Amino acid sequence: MTVTAEPRPGAAAPGSGRTRRPRRRFVPATAGHYLIWIVTLVVVVGPVVPITLASFWSTPLYRSGGHLTLGNFRDLLTDPAWWSAVGNSAAFAALTTVSSVLFGVGAAVLLTRTNVPFRRLFAGVLILPVMLPGLVLIVGWMAMWAPSGYVSSWLEINTVLWFPVDLYTLPGMALVATTVAAPTVFLFCRTTVLAIDPALEDAARSAGAHPLRALVSVTVPLLRPAVLNSALLVFAVSFEVLGLPLILGFSNDITFVSTYLYDNWINAAPPNQGLVSAGAVFLLLCVSGLLVLRNRLVGDVSRYTTVTGKATGTRVVDLGPVRWPLAAVFATVLGVLVVVPLAGVVMSAFTSILTPYITPWSVLTTANFAAIAGNPIWSESIVNSLLIAGVGGLLATAAIAVVSVVAHRSAFRFRGSLQQAVVWPRMMPGLVTGMAFFWSFAILDPSGAVRGSLWGIGLAFAVRSLALGYGVFYPALAAIGEDLDRAARTSGATWWQASVSVVLRLSAPAMAACFVLLFVSMLNDADPAVFLVTDRTPVMGLTMLQLAATSTGGAVAAFGVIQMVITLAVLAAGRIFLGVRAHA
Amino acid sequence: MPDLTLTKVAKSFGVNVVLHDLDLHVRDGELFTLLGPSGCGKSTTLWSIAGLHSPDRGTIAFGDRVVFDGGRIDVAPERRNCGVVFQSYAVWPHLSVHDNVAYPLKLRKERRPARAARVREVLELVELAHLEHRYPHELSGGQQQRVALARALAYPPDLLLLDEPFSNLDAKLRERAREWLRALQQRIGVTTVFVTHDQDEALSMSDRIMVMDQGRVRQVGTPEEIYQEPADVFVADFVGTVNVLPGRAAPGANGTAQVWLDGLGLPLVVPAGAGLDGDVRLTVRPERIVVHPSSGAPADAVNVVTVKVRSRAFLGDHYRYVADLGERELVVRTLAPVDHGSELIVELPPDAIRVFGPA
Ligand SMILES: Nc1ncnc2c1ncn2[C@@H]1O[C@H](COP(=O)(O)OP(=O)(O)OP(=O)(O)O)[C@@H](O)[C@H]1O
Ligand SMILES: [Mg+2]
Repeated sequence: MTVTAEPRPGAAAPGSGRTRRPRRRFVPATAGHYLIWIVTLVVVVGPVVPITLASFWSTPLYRSGGHLTLGNFRDLLTDPAWWSAVGNSAAFAALTTVSSVLFGVGAAVLLTRTNVPFRRLFAGVLILPVMLPGLVLIVGWMAMWAPSGYVSSWLEINTVLWFPVDLYTLPGMALVATTVAAPTVFLFCRTTVLAIDPALEDAARSAGAHPLRALVSVTVPLLRPAVLNSALLVFAVSFEVLGLPLILGFSNDITFVSTYLYDNWINAAPPNQGLVSAGAVFLLLCVSGLLVLRNRLVGDVSRYTTVTGKATGTRVVDLGPVRWPLAAVFATVLGVLVVVPLAGVVMSAFTSILTPYITPWSVLTTANFAAIAGNPIWSESIVNSLLIAGVGGLLATAAIAVVSVVAHRSAFRFRGSLQQAVVWPRMMPGLVTGMAFFWSFAILDPSGAVRGSLWGIGLAFAVRSLALGYGVFYPALAAIGEDLDRAARTSGATWWQASVSVVLRLSAPAMAACFVLLFVSMLNDADPAVFLVTDRTPVMGLTMLQLAATSTGGAVAAFGVIQMVITLAVLAAGRIFLGVRAHA
Repeated sequence: MPDLTLTKVAKSFGVNVVLHDLDLHVRDGELFTLLGPSGCGKSTTLWSIAGLHSPDRGTIAFGDRVVFDGGRIDVAPERRNCGVVFQSYAVWPHLSVHDNVAYPLKLRKERRPARAARVREVLELVELAHLEHRYPHELSGGQQQRVALARALAYPPDLLLLDEPFSNLDAKLRERAREWLRALQQRIGVTTVFVTHDQDEALSMSDRIMVMDQGRVRQVGTPEEIYQEPADVFVADFVGTVNVLPGRAAPGANGTAQVWLDGLGLPLVVPAGAGLDGDVRLTVRPERIVVHPSSGAPADAVNVVTVKVRSRAFLGDHYRYVADLGERELVVRTLAPVDHGSELIVELPPDAIRVFGPA
């Protein structure tokens, strides 16, 4: 040993008395926990109260009079149109969930842990659609793959191939939705796959398993929480989706729950507010049931703790020659699902008309962009959306991180309810969220100051995005071994200090991913704004929805291109500025 | 350094009672080991001391300072000043070796030059000064474990708590680490609670050992006491190897008793206190059994039996025979092979036999 004869390092502790202890915090951790809990519940659960009241009230809340009634529910549950809408939505959501989970999980494992050629490129292409609003992608799909679309017509004219799916049917809509949903599943699972300790697979291999077998039997089961969370989210989002059925369901008269509520609010005179509220409450009950189910299935999270204090790196499984056909499959699928529709968006944005009979080069134009720049409402909506997405995304990411850490890493008595509270709002259809905030603002803030500002819309968007961000953040959090924060506590850190310097620091990559997703989701969100938007606060998503309804395809596509550019810039910046070194 | 006292500490997880009113006293400067089979509550005890979770009842005191007392006092872990080395090391992957060790000092607002000097000093203590700027994923398991130890010692702890710190090391390294840690602990004199389920580790390092089973204390004592005077058959069996022989006792001549084993014609003579009677279990360590040459045992030897050898194994520094003693197996240990056919003449000296009550 190479140490000076020093009986006790205690005596050598430089400049310190033996009894110096970490400074005491004036606010005990629990008080902070309670504050966070109360704010979360008020923001998340509070807005539901007026809507629930409305569902049991005979007249709209803004009118005096009225009485308690079950009439709204009776009307809803005896309306055959409602039940066919529920059936359509459920079938569509189930189809979308199954296909996107299969595709998303497969891609997450194959593209992060095996040596499929071009896996980085494929992963990049796969997640492109989450950067775009669903609406723009629909425009791209219609431009290219609709029965009269550019590529499907071209195939029929020039080859023996044809596009086998009719976009204007349930499976067709599910296919379009899968393009958006699969990347969500992929992102959820990839975070977990990357966090899994390769030693776990080594253990299986030393037990005699082939490398691929080890991957499938060890890593894939460990994905269960990520798969369940993402599947539930995809199901819920597909269940409430508005733009897709509004545009694609129209021609075959396929009604979804969202379009049913939309019709009864927008197209009924006067708006059938009681019925819509009852529909919303019905949905909330279903969704709460789903959540309970999820909790049963996921079970105890600590079973899935895979990162311990022992540091290691990621390893890649060699697939042998199989990797080439696999790469071909990926290339084809991603080409059809992503590249062609995106090309459709760009081509529609830069041409005045898109058909196989005219070369696109001859109809090139920037008129669509000029139209956006020239229209003050349209251009203002872009600025507003950027503000909401940037500021709101940052604040929401911080909120998600803090709430998740309290929910999963504290001894706080009500932490369980926090875990539910962040997931729950996503289950509300966007229309309902918008309506809920509309009524809450109307009651709490009669002057309209908040409702008329971007803060109102931003809050509604942020609350809706909580689950999405949490879904990315939480698996990474669950994967950080709890001994790491315990070690900080015993080193003298308070709960908050340990959370900030260890847990949050180690989850910085997840926070960056969370911010990017929130930014994009809030930039694109439209549904809640239907009720909150004013002339002074247009937002891009809603402007696009209104444009799509009046079918100016070129302008919507131009919006989409702008969006793509903004998002890619955000991503690149995220890489550069938030990029976390490999060892963290 | 304070001593450590646990009084009637109890802890359950749901219906599963993990600690049954545990009493424990660790003396100032002592290396005290918690030894017991997996799942017996060692880590739970350690975590209660560190404040990482709260027991249901009982009191925990460091010297005069009560850190836990039922629901009334529960000092937060960061204010207990325990250095803890976790079973998983829990070295922070985002911090370099230096920053890992400096963290506790930073929290105490130690000034920079003093901090750097102290970090260097503890890193030298654990022989890692040359790896100061590495990150944990660039270290071996043994090195990570020493970083964890350095971090626990950085701000001099009142108590050092070690949870199976060697469980991830290979046998050779483990042996070295033991000696090294023992020497270090004696030099800095910090009161230490060491958790292990490895009896060799416990015996070779400890001042005193507490043997636990299912949340209860079986025995507390020095390594010699635990090995030579086990309080019950569980301790005898868990610490070292022992032959357990059930039989029936009857009083014998001048302070002895006679014990009949199943299937053995003659009784064994055992030392007995007052009136040993009825069902008993005898224990005898394999190395205490004397093997005589085939010519026979000396005339004054007692408890001489001829046993049938079932198997023989060579274990490097000794031979291990398994033989039939009546209806039981008898394990015998010798330094040299004693090969005379399929039988052994063995002697079970009365002072090597310990008598316990029935199971
Ligand atoms: N969070 C928990 N919830 C429920 N039971 C628990 C929990 N933590 C520990 N236990 C139970 O408490 C008992 C004691 O656990 P403990 O970790 O103290 O064992 P141990 O003696 O350290 O074992 P090992 O040597 O395997 O580390 C075990 O039976 C375990 O199942
Ligand atoms: Mg343990």
